[in-house]
Amino acid sequence: MADLILRGISKEFGGGVRAVDSVDLTFANGELTALLGPSGCGKTTLLRMIAGLDTPTGGRILLGGEDITDVPAHARRFGMVFQSFALFPHLNVEDNVAYALAIAGMDKARRRNRARELLDLVQLADYASRRIGELSGGQRQRVAIARALAQEPRIFLLDEPMSALDAKLREDMQVELRLLQQKLGITTIVVTHDQREAMTMADRIVVMSAGRTEQVGPPQEIYNRPASRFVASFIGKANFLDGTVRDGAVETAGGVLHLDNPAPFRNGAPVSLACRPEATHVSTRSRQAGNEIAAHVTFIRDIGPNREVFLDAGNMPLICEMRGSESDDLAVGAAVFAHLPPEALLVFPGDQTGTAP
Amino acid sequence: MTVTGYTVSDGPDTGRAAPSLDWQQAGKLSGRIVFALLVTGLALIPFALVFAISFGQKIEGADWHWAFVVENYSRFFVGIAWPESVSFLYSQKLFYSFYYAAIAACLAVALAFPFTYLMTRQSRKLQAVWLVFLLSTVSLSEVFVVMGWDVLLSNRSGLPMLFRESGATAWLKETGWFQVLRDAGLANPRNVKFKTSTLATVVTMAYLVWPYAVILLYPALSRIDNSMIEAAQTMGAKPVTVIRTVVLPSVRIPIIGATLLLFVFLLGTYVTVTVFAAPAQQTLTISIYEAIRGATLNAPFGAAQAVVLLVTAGLCLLASGGLARWAEQRR
Repeated sequence: MADLILRGISKEFGGGVRAVDSVDLTFANGELTALLGPSGCGKTTLLRMIAGLDTPTGGRILLGGEDITDVPAHARRFGMVFQSFALFPHLNVEDNVAYALAIAGMDKARRRNRARELLDLVQLADYASRRIGELSGGQRQRVAIARALAQEPRIFLLDEPMSALDAKLREDMQVELRLLQQKLGITTIVVTHDQREAMTMADRIVVMSAGRTEQVGPPQEIYNRPASRFVASFIGKANFLDGTVRDGAVETAGGVLHLDNPAPFRNGAPVSLACRPEATHVSTRSRQAGNEIAAHVTFIRDIGPNREVFLDAGNMPLICEMRGSESDDLAVGAAVFAHLPPEALLVFPGDQTGTAP
Repeated sequence: MTVTGYTVSDGPDTGRAAPSLDWQQAGKLSGRIVFALLVTGLALIPFALVFAISFGQKIEGADWHWAFVVENYSRFFVGIAWPESVSFLYSQKLFYSFYYAAIAACLAVALAFPFTYLMTRQSRKLQAVWLVFLLSTVSLSEVFVVMGWDVLLSNRSGLPMLFRESGATAWLKETGWFQVLRDAGLANPRNVKFKTSTLATVVTMAYLVWPYAVILLYPALSRIDNSMIEAAQTMGAKPVTVIRTVVLPSVRIPIIGATLLLFVFLLGTYVTVTVFAAPAQQTLTISIYEAIRGATLNAPFGAAQAVVLLVTAGLCLLASGGLARWAEQRR
């Protein structure tokens, strides 16, 4: 199967609202890509245009060189799983799965066999004759996946497929869906606002904001080398410190912080520094090694094996994530030093006000 | 525990909970009594009265008196001269009652379905405008609607005149379709005619209840999950296939319900039938009115006809319900 290419795709609704703004993307064959972003960033609109359910107001959609921009949804052969699963309540599980095959005119015996195969694939072989109302949320999701796969789609699209599931089931299904996608090798696009979900499943993440792509890359690259303050704030947590550049270092309210590579900004330029909580170290004693900010503990939160220590560094809130055993000597109100290693500091232009909601 | 003069118990206070329970029970009981009184007063007593009168006896040249005779029913089913001769006149009227009502109800729902479906695809604002318009048309009485259709279908000023003046009648004669219309009772030797005809009767009846059909179908169609329609599209279904395989099955119960409701409602149509139906094809409703208030003045016989109409309609509804359940189980 060929790559799916979006060239300058835009979508403008009435009143001049631009939901998607000149998006250029290539979805490689067999890859799972997550469209990630906050509500209203245009990710679902983009997916719907790919599916043919919405028409772009600008740009072209190409599949293997063929321009499919004006091809209606029913002629694209793209399988789609909807947020609400959109199963047909008047049909049983098997008939739901076999719907696309019945529409295509396949004879009853063959489509029944194919439906059984797909139900077996999603581990619902014993549920073929059940009504949709008799299924749990997880089972419904599996039926929706099997149904979307029945027509052997050229592209597999999923619109927030886990949002209706509880937290535990969601994590299980993320792994299952990823394994299924790898088994079938089908080009897949998942829309999600959950960065953990995107990190778990995707080969590549497209971070979107205000109708535009902010960054495209593998999960680890997005996490470790965010391209903007928005991406740093949306993917995982980060401590942000505003300051100005002074001879390659950054002057903040807590003191001068040095970076591994001097900040590529002119002196006096306003910048934002970001440091991941797990890279921020807290100690009751100063290391005397620079890049330290005096603070006091305001709150301690246990999150499984780790702890999050919330600090106040002169009206600058900081979070540090550390192993539970390393934080035994910390208590609320204790005076501490937050160490932000130069290699862990990311610097962004100070006029990037965008942060994730 | 005492809080500023009030005693708040830490445990359950059964002594005070009991009266509130009694009040709840009393409330439920009084609700049931009111319901029973309403059903009795509004449905059972009038029906019992009609049922009792149907066994009464007509006094020739005068009123009627209470009795227990079955001659009104035998007259309905086999005619007044039975056993010397048999007449199915009233069974025929009963048939026409059901014939017109069934066709008109199906026609109204069939026309209302695509309209309502397309309406629910519009913006909320436009839907509200349509609904207000439809509700306002419901306020038109049957007399008013029939008057309009009477003008529209009249031979001198309505559609037949338009047919003649526009040359459509001549074209129909040339192409041979005129004879087809004549065979169907929709033309006289000179021009097309719609009065009196089954077509005019049924179309006017369907028009009468069409707004009700839209209003009955609207809630179900507006609640259809749009993602189901889109899901069907992504699985290869064209718009017509989506309606056939997703929309229609999703609202089959409201469709059946609306059809049955309109059917029962149309059984009582009076003005439309008197204006548009041929005298030999008039319904039981006309005959009932004539017996009770009209020319024949035979209240017991009118009551017997009403009872037969009601019981037959009830049996029809039961049969339809059974048929729907049977079809559901076969799915």
